[in-house]
Amino acid sequence: MTQLFSRFTLMALAGPTLLFNACSKDDNDNEVKPAEALKTETASNLAPAPGTTNPTTGQPGTPRHYAFYSLANKSTVAYTDSATTKWDLAVRGTTILVNGSSSGPGQGGAIVKEGLFSEVTTAPTTDYKQDTPTAKAIPTGSGNGWYNYNSTTHVVAPIAGRVLLIRTATGKYAKVEIVSYYKDAPATPVGTEPSGYYTFRYVYQPDGSTNLK
Amino acid sequence: MHRSLTPTFLLALLLAPAVSWAQQQKAPADTSTRHLRLREVVITATRTEKALTEVPIPVTVVSRQQIKTMGALRLSDVLGEQTGLNVVADHGRGIQMQGLNPEYTLILVDGEPLIGRTAGTLELSRVAVGNIERVEVVKGPASALWGSEALAGVVNIITQKPQPGTRGEVRLRYGTNRTADVGGTFNLKQNRLGITVFGNRYSSAGYTLQPASGQATVPPFASYTGQSRLSYQLDDKTTLSISGRYFIENQRSELPISTEGGQTAPVRLKSRQQDFSLNPTLTRCFSDKLFGTLRFYHAGYRTQENYTYTTDGAYYDASYFHQTFTRPEAQLDWRLHPKHTLTAGAGYLLESVEATRYDQRQQMRSAYGYLQDDWAPLPGLNLVAGVRYDGHNQYRGQLSPKLSGRYQVRPWLAVRASAGRGFRAPDFRQLYLNFSNPAVGYSVFGTHQVQEKVAQLVTQGQIAVDPATGQPLINAALLEQASSLTAESSRAYNAGFQLDPTSKLRLTANFFHNDLHDLIETAAVAQKTNGQSVYSYRNVSRAYTQGVEADARYLLGQYLTLSAGYQYLIAKDRTVLAQLKAGSIYRRDPQTLETIRLREADYGGLYNRSRHTANVKLFYENQAAGWSGSVRGVYRGRYGFQDRNGNLILDAANEYVPGYWLLNVAAAKTFRQRYTLQAGLDNALNYTNPAYLSTVPGRLYYASVAVALGQK
Repeated sequence: MTQLFSRFTLMALAGPTLLFNACSKDDNDNEVKPAEALKTETASNLAPAPGTTNPTTGQPGTPRHYAFYSLANKSTVAYTDSATTKWDLAVRGTTILVNGSSSGPGQGGAIVKEGLFSEVTTAPTTDYKQDTPTAKAIPTGSGNGWYNYNSTTHVVAPIAGRVLLIRTATGKYAKVEIVSYYKDAPATPVGTEPSGYYTFRYVYQPDGSTNLK
Repeated sequence: MHRSLTPTFLLALLLAPAVSWAQQQKAPADTSTRHLRLREVVITATRTEKALTEVPIPVTVVSRQQIKTMGALRLSDVLGEQTGLNVVADHGRGIQMQGLNPEYTLILVDGEPLIGRTAGTLELSRVAVGNIERVEVVKGPASALWGSEALAGVVNIITQKPQPGTRGEVRLRYGTNRTADVGGTFNLKQNRLGITVFGNRYSSAGYTLQPASGQATVPPFASYTGQSRLSYQLDDKTTLSISGRYFIENQRSELPISTEGGQTAPVRLKSRQQDFSLNPTLTRCFSDKLFGTLRFYHAGYRTQENYTYTTDGAYYDASYFHQTFTRPEAQLDWRLHPKHTLTAGAGYLLESVEATRYDQRQQMRSAYGYLQDDWAPLPGLNLVAGVRYDGHNQYRGQLSPKLSGRYQVRPWLAVRASAGRGFRAPDFRQLYLNFSNPAVGYSVFGTHQVQEKVAQLVTQGQIAVDPATGQPLINAALLEQASSLTAESSRAYNAGFQLDPTSKLRLTANFFHNDLHDLIETAAVAQKTNGQSVYSYRNVSRAYTQGVEADARYLLGQYLTLSAGYQYLIAKDRTVLAQLKAGSIYRRDPQTLETIRLREADYGGLYNRSRHTANVKLFYENQAAGWSGSVRGVYRGRYGFQDRNGNLILDAANEYVPGYWLLNVAAAKTFRQRYTLQAGLDNALNYTNPAYLSTVPGRLYYASVAVALGQK
């Protein structure tokens, strides 16, 4: 576990540039579907800016801030807006925040649900967990929430079949599936790639309904 | 039938005319690999001497002659070539039997257990084979006779007993990696006194499979083994025998350690392990019907590891592990009838351990008794029923019954079947560990003290508090389970046949099913304020292993024996099977990143198990001309290594290690019945897989010379 933590600080911050783009995987499908069908968006390489490089070791330190993301606007949000409801998710290392309670001024909450992303078609309206100073709505720790940590290979792997149901800062509903924790989503991470780079798919319902189809 | 042995009755037996039953029982042990029909005698299956062809459970015997012809040095070399046994590495090289990990096989030397399983596996290379008469391997649970650990089976190493005359042998062998083996045996038997002495030095420069790591795969080592047995016939019915063993191994290595500044510093590791044992045994033939054995066994195991900085010799870390095992035991064999033998035994066991990661010296005590009824009610039919009870001061008592039978249907066909229960006691780690990682901050406590330790952490304010309720974050249910830890157990079934269609061919097969309960796993029982967990152990998983093992042996002419073996194995975790059935295990395609739900057919079972293993061997033995030789091919099919896609189960192609063949060759010539030269080549195909197979070095050449001394 020592190695896990040194790697987090080492790798999560090794890449100074924040690559980010939102694109649609379902462009072709959506052209023929009715206009109200929701698009599945993909966000790649969401990661915070690395911390100050340690002058003696030459290695980057822990990021000072989280990386913030707006599901509504399909874009990153500057950390200077962290005290607003402009963001819905924030990441740093293996921790994910939702905008509410101890983490922000919004109505944000989350449910970690087991199932296939495509099978989750309706968002529940109750039972959303909120962040607290000691426990996050999306629990941290291997096997507790969204990832498994392999103590032999030191690889953090998002658990397949975990869907994060999100109540956003403004009280809208969305579903999120994290698919990679490493930069550029390598097919078979070996644990030495820059880590803390989130690639996730999501469906956001802007009309305030629970429909996530 | 089960008449109790009252003192009067015992006295009557003592006064009865003495006829040496042991003499009658003794049959010449067949050391030849050739003859199929000679009466080989085994001791491990029933704890009484019994012909191998008559035991109702699967037993493999490897004779001294076979061990010599193979050119084997250590026990791991011998066992790794037997059908259904795989040498696997997990904190040492151990044996996987019927798909069960090394900690589930009991390893005995002359019926007494070898100790020193710091992390479950008993390192088989600690055992030199130069003084071994034969190795008996019993498959299937034998806890009804042998108690804890005999869940998958038992390996019993039978050392040479004093033989009439004075003789000895010295041996010298040298090979690749500067591997040297020097040793000798000495035997004396005159009148009432018999002595055997064995000494051995085994050393190697080791080898490095991954030079880039900066660390040797096996660092240089040197080990010494001394073993001796003294037997003295007190009178014509009573024999006293005393065996002793001492083993020491020293190893040195260098390894890079990353310091807090992020740099690496070379650190030197000096490690030493030792084991010793003393085993006086008193046997007495009270009559031709009653035979008694009194045994006392004391053994110790010690390791010491010292880490120092290479540059200035400053202290980096040190650890030690001291274990002792003391056991008196008594056994009575009562032959009611030539076809009916009752065996009863009882003993008391005291174990202690003292180690760096344990609070203080810890002791475990247990007492046990066993009873076995070996009965042949009809010609050709043999039934053996046994039961053993182990009472223990740390976990609940274990009752282990077993029933087995063998029936000679036709002169060329015999069938046998058995059902029994096996168990493995929680080990010292699981009961007493007290470890907190200073760098990361998590803690692991043995179940014996976890409640007390967690309560201590609560008062110290080290356990996180639930903000909603104000209560410490403790999983009370898990903590309760941890505190009531019990032994792992299995119910096992074996059934098979032996077929002798011609005098040259023998076919055997055995089907096995092991249903495992209460397997011990770690569990996070509380959450600390530093975000880490407090771990302990609990009984949770259920698994099964099943398969079939088959052997064929064929005499190809006067001197040649061809044999082949195969095992088919399925081993699965029942919890995973239930999750698959419920549809709650998934996999993400690494390319498309799409998630799919897994089906039962996608599950590859437990890690480190090969579905297919096989061997083909050719042995040549021409004693008259002094030539012997062997060619042995051992195949291990692909097996799961570790999870790579985060769903924790074995399902993807890149989670497997590819299968491989090891081909070993040896030839020997004896001159004037005194001088033997042998040359050999292990791993002739030079197969290596540095990333996944640390125990397989490349091609190994060797040559040896042996000189027999004294009377022939």
